Amino acid sequence: MKSLRWFIPVLHLVKKEFRQILRDRKMLRMVFMMPIMQLLILGYAATTDLKNIRLTILDQDNSPDSRRLAEAFFQNNLFVHGPAAAGQTEMEEHLFRGRADVTIWIPRGYANDLASGRTAEIALAVDGVNSNAAGRTLGYAQAVVRQEETRLLEQKRLSQPALKIHRVDAVSRFFYNPELESRNYMIPGIAVILVTMISGMMTGMAIVREKEMGTLEQLLVTPLSPRQLIAGKLIPFAVLAFVELGIAIPLAVFWFHLPLVGSLLLFAGCTLVYLLVTLGGGLLASTVSHTQQQAMFTIWFFTIFGILTSGYFYPVENMPRWIYLLTYANPMRFFMSITRGIFLKGVQLGDVVQDLIPLFIIGTITFTVAVLRFRKRIA
Amino acid sequence: MKRMLAIAFKEFLHIKRDVRSLALAVAMPLMMVFLYGYALDMEMKNLKVGILDLDHSTASRDLVRRMTSSNFIVDAGRLASREEIEPGFRRNRFKAAVVIPVGFENSLQTEETTPVQLLIDGADGTTAAAVDNYLKAVIAALNRDLISGPGGKLTPPVELRPRVLYNPELISAHFVVPGLASVILIMICVLLTSIAIVREKETGTMEQVLTTPVHAAEVIFGKVIPYVGIGALDATLVLLMGRVVFGVPMAGSWWVLAAYSLLYIIIALALGLLISAVTHTQQMAMIAALLGTLMPSIMLSGFIFPISSMPWGLQALSHIIPARYYIEILRGIMLRGELWFPKQLAIMTVMAVGLLLLAAKKFQSRLDLL
Repeated sequence: MKSLRWFIPVLHLVKKEFRQILRDRKMLRMVFMMPIMQLLILGYAATTDLKNIRLTILDQDNSPDSRRLAEAFFQNNLFVHGPAAAGQTEMEEHLFRGRADVTIWIPRGYANDLASGRTAEIALAVDGVNSNAAGRTLGYAQAVVRQEETRLLEQKRLSQPALKIHRVDAVSRFFYNPELESRNYMIPGIAVILVTMISGMMTGMAIVREKEMGTLEQLLVTPLSPRQLIAGKLIPFAVLAFVELGIAIPLAVFWFHLPLVGSLLLFAGCTLVYLLVTLGGGLLASTVSHTQQQAMFTIWFFTIFGILTSGYFYPVENMPRWIYLLTYANPMRFFMSITRGIFLKGVQLGDVVQDLIPLFIIGTITFTVAVLRFRKRIA
Repeated sequence: MKRMLAIAFKEFLHIKRDVRSLALAVAMPLMMVFLYGYALDMEMKNLKVGILDLDHSTASRDLVRRMTSSNFIVDAGRLASREEIEPGFRRNRFKAAVVIPVGFENSLQTEETTPVQLLIDGADGTTAAAVDNYLKAVIAALNRDLISGPGGKLTPPVELRPRVLYNPELISAHFVVPGLASVILIMICVLLTSIAIVREKETGTMEQVLTTPVHAAEVIFGKVIPYVGIGALDATLVLLMGRVVFGVPMAGSWWVLAAYSLLYIIIALALGLLISAVTHTQQMAMIAALLGTLMPSIMLSGFIFPISSMPWGLQALSHIIPARYYIEILRGIMLRGELWFPKQLAIMTVMAVGLLLLAAKKFQSRLDLL
């Protein structure tokens, strides 16, 4: 009964807050467009797949063997034909001007070397500007050459029945995402970013806005206790975060065909824990900022750094040791791993506990500090 | 002109008085380059692989040693049975598991092919493909040694001699830092200008300024001038930091780079002006700046995601993103040593002039409405 009496004024404040949000048409449009835009743009653009690598081949041997090797590169749709080159200088020029990503030179005598049992050499040059793409391009090219090599050896074996070749044959099996579609991995990450932006940034700015306008003082002279005030200001943004997810998840599942194998209930529960962090963070930022601009910069800075060290783009294991250690303090890292696990691998509560506990600890600390600071500021 | 400079001076005083925001505008880019430059390390390494060695032989141990000898793969320890593999994936204990079957060594000497199973967590498709490729390369190297090493009878037929140009050690930071400069520049320039103007609108002081004999366009462009300075300062600091901390090479010329950068700063500021013309609250201005300029500058500029891998619609869209051209120029100058970019220069000039004219027009018609 008592708790109900405590809660009723909070509800009034929540109602006022919602009215304020709903009245601002532009704001409202933004709130609904944001998940759709982000999913569409990030879903299509944020791919770390490598496609359409432009490969220029200079085949100076021009034999059936060399042509077969050249064709082998274009068989799996990774490489596309780059501009033709008549000589080595022209090939280098294509690389320098960025017209080709990688060039291969098959020198004269390739077929001859193969026939006489010598090792035939071919030269590859790759544009290293995009280090990641270059490294992978190199790997793909080597895989093609390996395959061609296996084929040549097989041919040799068939012509010499006495010859025995022993080799290890690797058979790969991919779990959870057999097509290795990078989009499936990125989209659950977008949900994490959406929740962070909506609940963290909007909370912080909404509170500072009231400060800036002087209306916070007016709220303080009402009989609301500081706790009720905080609850009333935060609840609408928590609700909003779930609204965003309610738009984003169906879009992800029906438009992008994201496999959703885990439990939505578990996801909702983990989101609640994560909201402790983002709402607390927004509140905390509002206590250290005087203007919306400052609040925005502060939250934006932490959000971006959080995204980068969450493993959203690249695995955290890549990072230098000291940043890798920092990621353990990054709540987004844990929530990212939970979300991807639930969506793609269908993990259960028992599997997410290792991520949920640190998330809960960070959330509780952030939230407590924020509330204490906020109460001190308004006292 | 004189009145415009007076406005510029007034804005300069505003900035000077708000030390905290100024410090933020200068310190934040530096911190961003430092942290992001390290955090955006795309070179895959330390990927954990679990090993299920059912053979326990010299040959199987040799294969494991070959696989774990680089820093790409970290040994996540021996598994006892297949039942450990899936739970391991679910708890992210390792990205892949290698299963070496019973009788591996024996089969290697008697059979033509000996299977080894690679079980890979495909959730992160890109990493999975890299792990698969790496493990297969190790096995291919083993196969080569089997035919041509001691006891082998053949020479390997084909040898690929790779050479990497412009970034021979494939250092991720050399790729990321120039792109980062363009993202930071657009963020700082667009946000600062749009918010500075919208704040005056919101607090009503814009009206006061407009009651003075100063012309509307003079107010707007006067307000922007100090931010050109901040933008130029930020650009210099960011690029210097890339040079000093991350060792990004300078194959071209700093002066040429500075000229192109100035053009880019003008585009960014004009975008900021445009946003301030169509928004009324700082909050809206900020959201518009982030979604309208920053996001596309990160996502569609080729900053980290290759444009050529995108669907054609987004590829087409990327042509109107100024950051795309600036990043091409930055990388071209710093890494390749190219100095002359006629296509990019023409497009950016058109963008700068067009955006400035558009902003001027918007303000002409809107100022009465303030």
